[in-house]
Amino acid sequence: MASMTRFPRLNPARHPAPGFAAMGLVLAAISHPAVATAIVSGLGEPVRRPLAVARLLDLGLRHILLAGTGLGLVAILGIGLGILVTRPAGVPWRPVVDALAAGAQAVPPVVVVALALPVLGFGGPPTLLALVAYGIMPVLRGTVGGIEGVAPDVREAGRAIGLTRTQILTRIELPLAAPAIVETLRTALVLAVATAAVGALAGAATLGSPIVAGLQNQNTVPMLQGAAATAALAFLADALLLALTGRWRASTRP
Amino acid sequence: MTARSESAAPNRIDLPHLLAGLAWLAGLWFAMLRLPLLNVAANRLVPGHPVVGADALGWTGAAIAAASLAGLVLTMIRDGRRFALVAAAGFTVALLILAEGLGSGAARNLAGAAPAARASLGAGSWLALALLGGGLGFAVRRSRVRWLGLAVGLGLGLGLAALAHAGRLDALSLAVEYAARHEAVQAAIREHLVLAGSALAIAIAGAVPLSLWRRGQGLVAMLVGGIQVVPAVALLGALVALTAGLLRAVPALRETGLSALGAAPAVAGIAAYLLLPLWRGIGLAMRSPDAAAIEAAEAVGLTRRQILLGIRLPLGAPILVGALRVAAVQGLGLATLGALVGAGGLGRIVFDGMAQFAPDLILLGAVPVVALSLGAEIGLSRLEAAARRRWHP
Repeated sequence: MASMTRFPRLNPARHPAPGFAAMGLVLAAISHPAVATAIVSGLGEPVRRPLAVARLLDLGLRHILLAGTGLGLVAILGIGLGILVTRPAGVPWRPVVDALAAGAQAVPPVVVVALALPVLGFGGPPTLLALVAYGIMPVLRGTVGGIEGVAPDVREAGRAIGLTRTQILTRIELPLAAPAIVETLRTALVLAVATAAVGALAGAATLGSPIVAGLQNQNTVPMLQGAAATAALAFLADALLLALTGRWRASTRP
Repeated sequence: MTARSESAAPNRIDLPHLLAGLAWLAGLWFAMLRLPLLNVAANRLVPGHPVVGADALGWTGAAIAAASLAGLVLTMIRDGRRFALVAAAGFTVALLILAEGLGSGAARNLAGAAPAARASLGAGSWLALALLGGGLGFAVRRSRVRWLGLAVGLGLGLGLAALAHAGRLDALSLAVEYAARHEAVQAAIREHLVLAGSALAIAIAGAVPLSLWRRGQGLVAMLVGGIQVVPAVALLGALVALTAGLLRAVPALRETGLSALGAAPAVAGIAAYLLLPLWRGIGLAMRSPDAAAIEAAEAVGLTRRQILLGIRLPLGAPILVGALRVAAVQGLGLATLGALVGAGGLGRIVFDGMAQFAPDLILLGAVPVVALSLGAEIGLSRLEAAARRRWHP
């Protein structure tokens, strides 16, 4: 009876990287024109103009470039601002950052893309702005949370042995906050891949383009190909980041 | 929390606060004197010419500057409740004067122009509105009066409604666009709420059994976590493709009203994303009472049902409301993408605006989306705080 009322804790040891990688490979296979055509015709849908592999790879490369640029900007700005607002001089900016963080979550990426469209024109720029606007806040919050989570005693010990403020930051605060920061970068990565797909609505050439075009002219095959390829990219990138950080964590842990 | 304890302490101006205040003033000055406050164009699609500073605002510019400077100085020099209240009033007045000034400035700049001419808000207006709104928020926080935020929100809303009713804002292009499409906008808001609401209801109905299936928690974690990785555009596209195929394979389903494009794939797609916050919230809430409390309850002979209703739910209530808040805000945002698969909602107005490259039409769809999300965020976080006060005093 007693054991029946326990709710199990999640098992943190379960590592999703291999599962995500396998999922990504399956989805990548589905995005292949032959497989997608077979699935759609198997369901009895008429098959029109599937996307060639070369075109798919080209779109995938553009998608990666756009999402990668955005993620780079997000990491630099998010971590940088996170460090700034945790310095003594940054204290008055904390409420500003908290308010912006809450506000940014209320504006979905598609709305940012739409609002930036008249200012920045069609294509990559509004998408990049949406990527940065939406991705920066989770990273900033994660960085602030990670740095503030460092026990005051540890910081005090650093000061006692004569470390400067910069050394306390680089040798104590940042290494201890690293797991939290990496976790938010994962969120930002997934957001970046998704937002780059939304960018297709503003005319950016990404893996979202065949989905949007397919929805508009009722062409199921490219729609399925684009959807599977976008999802494959997200899963593979997430699995890669998980694997890298898992390896890095294993090597830094004593 | 840090901000709160920080703001409680100083009654003097320290250097970082002074710098922040000066940056705020510089931003406002730049917005009101250097950036375009209005854009006046021959019609709603062509880009217009910018109208800067006094040409747009007239004498009201000085009034806004005075009211906001007073508000800033008051919030900075003293941390008293009275000072913060006066400052909040100053910022509110500044915001309303700005709205009125922009409205009459638009009317002045359009006088004698063709009926198709439009005056839209420029970058300077948006920046000034954001800065004044931020100052107001800061003053409200500093006052630490619980009802003040609500009162200020109501006051601002009533003030703007009065201005709009008196026709003072009619010349602004957003008002012109709304007047032309107010029925479509209201219908879209209703559709948007139905989309997000039904997705939320379905996600709750799905998350509860997923949380109760104890042996499968590892699998469930993989599943709901994996869905988050799939981009929403891709999931919606795949759902439409699969629904189309399913309808082709089983034509009888058509008679149930299911169609490949429409609300069904949108609601299913949105609900799938809401599973994670809800499932995680339920799990955390059920685990929130410590084992000793549960054992004590079992020892005095409470049944599982009594433990659930009397201990787990009250102790977990703030977490549950928090999960609901996250899911509701996400759902309202994702519902915007519903228009992509023909489900309607505010996204349709946004996408129409994008297709026509008409900024005001985009805003007409985007402003309600942001307002609904912010409303859900603020309302449910108040409920969350109330639940915490009620059960975790």
